[in-house]
Formats: sequence, structure tokens, C-alpha cells
Amino acid sequence: MGKPQKVTLKEAVALINDGDFLTFSGFTIWRRPMAFVYEMVRQGKKDLHLFEVNGGTHTEVLAGAGCIKMWESCWVGHELYGKLGEAVARGQIEGSIIVEDYSHAQCVARLLAGAYGLPFFPTALSMGTDILNPKFDNLKKAGLRDGSNPKIPMIKYDIIQDKMYNKGDILLMPAANPDWAIIYASQVGDEGTVRMFAQRYVDMEAIKAADKVIVIAEEIVPDSYLRQEPEKNMATGYAIDYVVELPWSAHPTGSQFYYDVDADFIKAFYTASKSKETFDQWAAEWIFGVASHEEYIEKLGVNRLTKLKANSVLGYSTAVKRGTR
Amino acid sequence: MAKNYATNYKPVDLLAVAAAREVNDGDVVFAGTGLPMLAILLAQVTDKPNAVCIYEAGSVDGRALDLPASVGDSRCAWQASIAAGLTEAFYGQLHCGYVDLGFLGGAEIDQYGNVNTTVVGDYSAPSKRFTGSGGNPDINSFAKRTVFIMVQEKRRFKEHVDYITSPGWRLPKWPSGEFVHRREVFGKFAEGGPTAVITNMGVFRFDENGVIYLDTVHPGFTAEQVKDNCSFDLNISRCKGETEKPTEEEIYLLYNRVDPEGIFLP
Repeated sequence: MGKPQKVTLKEAVALINDGDFLTFSGFTIWRRPMAFVYEMVRQGKKDLHLFEVNGGTHTEVLAGAGCIKMWESCWVGHELYGKLGEAVARGQIEGSIIVEDYSHAQCVARLLAGAYGLPFFPTALSMGTDILNPKFDNLKKAGLRDGSNPKIPMIKYDIIQDKMYNKGDILLMPAANPDWAIIYASQVGDEGTVRMFAQRYVDMEAIKAADKVIVIAEEIVPDSYLRQEPEKNMATGYAIDYVVELPWSAHPTGSQFYYDVDADFIKAFYTASKSKETFDQWAAEWIFGVASHEEYIEKLGVNRLTKLKANSVLGYSTAVKRGTR
Repeated sequence: MAKNYATNYKPVDLLAVAAAREVNDGDVVFAGTGLPMLAILLAQVTDKPNAVCIYEAGSVDGRALDLPASVGDSRCAWQASIAAGLTEAFYGQLHCGYVDLGFLGGAEIDQYGNVNTTVVGDYSAPSKRFTGSGGNPDINSFAKRTVFIMVQEKRRFKEHVDYITSPGWRLPKWPSGEFVHRREVFGKFAEGGPTAVITNMGVFRFDENGVIYLDTVHPGFTAEQVKDNCSFDLNISRCKGETEKPTEEEIYLLYNRVDPEGIFLP
């Protein structure tokens, strides 16, 4: 407890051990801690266990680089800029990644239970689907539901009868409590208060559910400023363990009121992600070809970044060409 | 006044227009990225100004100035009544019963409206993986009506889908896996389900037993052609004729108000 410790990106990533259980902030191609993800690849993290309410470009970077052993989630892709999660798909088909599928709202239920200190959270969403087919429980098939890993529940879900109002069957989804939440934040105060702009996604739940929290902030601002409007804040400083201040650290994903999604960058990455060889070429250029986040930004260039910069009123860029007209 | 039907339009235009016509004024609509977004936005600028839209990233009743490229886009939150998160979207809006209509996509569908967006082949050793479920089965569980927008192909309209990602009218009740009517799975929690499927060839609906049938066929196709593009024996006996064509006004609004930048429309 107390104030978070300010560290560098490299120091923060060095805290992560091989095999650790992680979750991330953001939603598909928005507010993902990309700089942290690139640095994890540079530092050669492996056997990571991810719980993600939804995946995105960051997941594909980690999957393509061979960092992931287990992926519990419901979706991975790049929205309009890449329709599939090619690296996760390759991992599942080849058997190098153990995939455990849920529905989106079942993932939210798991994180809500984790966030609020409950062993499970009930939901009636997505019953009657193959997500609940016992034959398709991949963690169980891998022998990982024997209780030896305290972060893996011994059953994927339970179904109980509502005895209070007799509404029928309802699912109980087990809590997810990752070792780490890696959070990209719009602003963090000098005492650790966290603020996100626009949609909140499941960032607050991720912060509360994880044992330790690293925040990569677009900017650090005085806590006294954030405390003028506490209703806009997401988390308090004592919930955060480490803070890294790093502008543009969500690129190529978007950050509302700072910069838009870099669609061309994601499209190029998606194309590269379709085979191991082309992924490795891409990583050689954009991850291993730069020694730091600062070099990555330098390589992107000022013109590219200026175009992505958000309009301060609208919260997104009006300069990027998004469609075909 | 007689409607001024368009003489020149693309298949995707008809999909968006036919989907927009499934919206009732005042509906609370939960839409995914792409065509579903075009459909709800077109409905709003034509004759359903009181329909509202929820996106699963957490924006409720946004009034985007510019077309969002995804449901997490900052554009979704412009002038929204609430910019919350997924807990609000899935539990505060959907699970609690506000949502009238869900607009979804899918890779494969069976005659009971079970949809696959997860894998091709045996799930334990798949030959291809799609994006995964996302919120598709959640929305399809609790929206009072669900409309799927899909590509019509024999390999997609299947006797049995490879993986039931999203719940149709007859589905497995776990843990036994026995196939039962949807109401035996969802009990008193939810009464909705798939109500229409719109493809590039026609509009389908579901009968009293939850079995799909052809409702209208798009201009340029015959009911027999649609039947030939299903792996199961499609009921075409209830087909009531041709799908209503888009009007000039709808096409104009689609290209000039809804997607002027050409994000989803070519």
C-alpha cells in the first residue's frame, strides 16, 4: 500500500517473470500498453498465461513472438484493420498455445468476481453454447485443473438452480485474479490516482483483480488536479504499485484525446502476422531493430505522429484518412 | 407517395438497408462493428430517429459525428448519454433487460440459428480459427430479437455448425449436452432469440419450432437458388416474394450521411 513507485519501462518489464499470469487494459485496438508489450518481447519473456476480456494487436505481438503459453479469452483480431488473430490461431492449431474460450460477458464476469473479492460471479449469458461443452475444456485436457496452480480454477464453470426466485439455471464463472495488470492510462497523478478518458472498458476491474498493477501513463499530472473532479477518476494510488510515464506508449492502438489508432501500421502488422517468417521480419524491424520506446517513436517520425494526434475537442484525429473515399 | 426505388445499388447496400428495416422506432439496439453499425445508423437517419445504440465497449446512445471504425472507437462516445465500460454494457444494459434488438455477424449457421464464429473443424484440432465469440453469444442470449447479417454459401449454411458459439432455438443443455428448446436453457431469464438472418441472397426468419425458412428473396435471385446455397433442406414454402429494394434516399443517406469516408462501404 501507499504511493506507487516510479520506474522506467525496462525496470517495470524486468519485474515480470516467465510463466506469470497477466491481464491488460484497453479494448481490442484501443489503450493497449504496447510499449510494455514490445519490451516484454525484447526481454524474451516466455510461458506467459494471459487472461484477457478481449485480445487485440498486443496479444498478437506476444503470440507471434512465442511469449504465450496459455490464453484465456473470447476474441482476438484487429477490428477493421485485420480480421483475425493469426498468431493466436497458429498457436492453437499447432498446439503451442493452450486456448480457453469464453464469451465476452463471461470474461467480464470472471474479472468482476476477481475485482470484488468473490470466488465467482453469476451470469445467464451464453448458456447452451459449446463454450460450456466439457469436451472442449482445454485447460482440463492439459491437466491444469488439478489445483496445483492457484490461479487456475478446478472447474471451468458451475451451473446452479436459482432457488430464490426460481428463474432457472444460471452459470457461476470463477474469479480471475492475475499476478499482474498492465494498464495503459491517460493520466496518472503524482500520488497514483488514475484517470481514463472516454469509455472505461474493463480497466477498473483489471486494476482491482490483479495482485500487482503497473501503470504506463501517457502523462503524469499533479494529483491535486485529478482530485478537483474525483468522479472522473478510476482508481486510487494505493491500488497501483508501479508507474511509468511514457508518451505514445499505446501506439499503434488509439488513446482517446491523445491519438487515433494507426490503421496503416496495424494493417501492415496484420499482413506480417500471417506467417512466422513474415512476423519475425516485422519484429526484427519494429521490436528488435529499436533499442527503446524512444527509438521506436523516432522511427515512426513526427509527420506520422502529427497526423494521428487527436483533436482536443473531439478526442480523435480529423487528419487521418480512414476509408476509401 | 410511391417510393422511389434505386435502380443502381451494390449487394452490400441492400444488406444494410434490409437490416435497417428490422429496427423499430424506439428500439434499444446492441450492434457490433461493420454492417450492424451501418444498419442502426441508417435506421436512425431514415424513419427510426428514436432508436438508440449501445456498443459493447461501453458507450450508450452515442451520437457520433463521424462513423466509428470499431465499437471501442472514441467516436462512439461522442454525445453519448453514458460512456461507461463493459460491465455496464453487458450487465447494466443487456442482462438487466433493456436491449430490444441485437445485430450480429457469423461465419456458419445451422437451421436452428446456432452460429459459429470460433473454429472450422473439430474444436480439439481445428483447421482454422476465427476471431472467437466476442459478445455475439451474449447479445444473442438476451436481446429480445437478434438479426444476423451473413454471407450466403452452402458451406456456411450447415446441417450442424462445427462449434456452437452463439445460441439458436435448439441447443445443448449442459452438462448433459442434450438438445432442447432454448427456453429450457434460459428459463425465465430471457425470452428472445434469433429472429432474422439477412444474406446477400435473401431474408430468413424462424418458424414456431425455431426452424429457419426463407421469407423474401433478393431481386435477381430465385428461392431455388437460395435453397441450393444451403446444406440443409431449406423451407422455401413460406417465401412471400422479393425483398424490398433500397430507395434512392436510403442509398443517398448510406453513402453521404452514414459512411461518407468509405470505411465499410466500397
